[in-house]
Amino acid sequence: MGEIKWERDFNIAVDKAKKTGKPIYHDFWFDG
Amino acid sequence: MNAGPYSDEKVQKFVEEEFIPLKSQCFWDKRTELMKKFDIIWTPTLLIHDSEGKEHYRFVGYVPIDDFLAHLKLGKGKVFFNHYRHVEAIAQFKAVIEQHPNAGVTPEAIFFLGVAEYRKTHDAKALRRAYDTLTSKYPQSEWARRAQPYSQIAL
Repeated sequence: MGEIKWERDFNIAVDKAKKTGKPIYHDFWFDG
Repeated sequence: MNAGPYSDEKVQKFVEEEFIPLKSQCFWDKRTELMKKFDIIWTPTLLIHDSEGKEHYRFVGYVPIDDFLAHLKLGKGKVFFNHYRHVEAIAQFKAVIEQHPNAGVTPEAIFFLGVAEYRKTHDAKALRRAYDTLTSKYPQSEWARRAQPYSQIAL
């Protein structure tokens, strides 16, 4: 298994979720 | 980017297969629209949305892998539970209980398993079973105290 392929755009993630029926796992992170 | 819990293969597999993975960077000097929309005040904040984008579950802070996977399964179960998809919710809550018995959220999964089974069958014994399990296995948990009213239900 490689790295997780993260979506970066919320609206695109919702579109993908609607098409697949999957929920969205959403990580709010800070690079500090 | 895949540091912390995301370096674990079990986490990678579960997130990839069960969710649409989404990352949003936070900026404290100029809060993003998504930070405002979801009231993000600390990081990491981890949300689980349904397929319409509505939030159903959140936790703050990365936790050990076993706890992390339990959170993801409980959160997925909450999405199903909130959409009255009881069979799928029950499967997720059982996965938490059976696969992560030592996770911090497991007592919550037991409580909601009882509620989901009750909502599915209208048999109040499911609530009593949740109370019995919580008081026998997790007597110190808040969820055992929350289930206290169910102690009066006859088996």
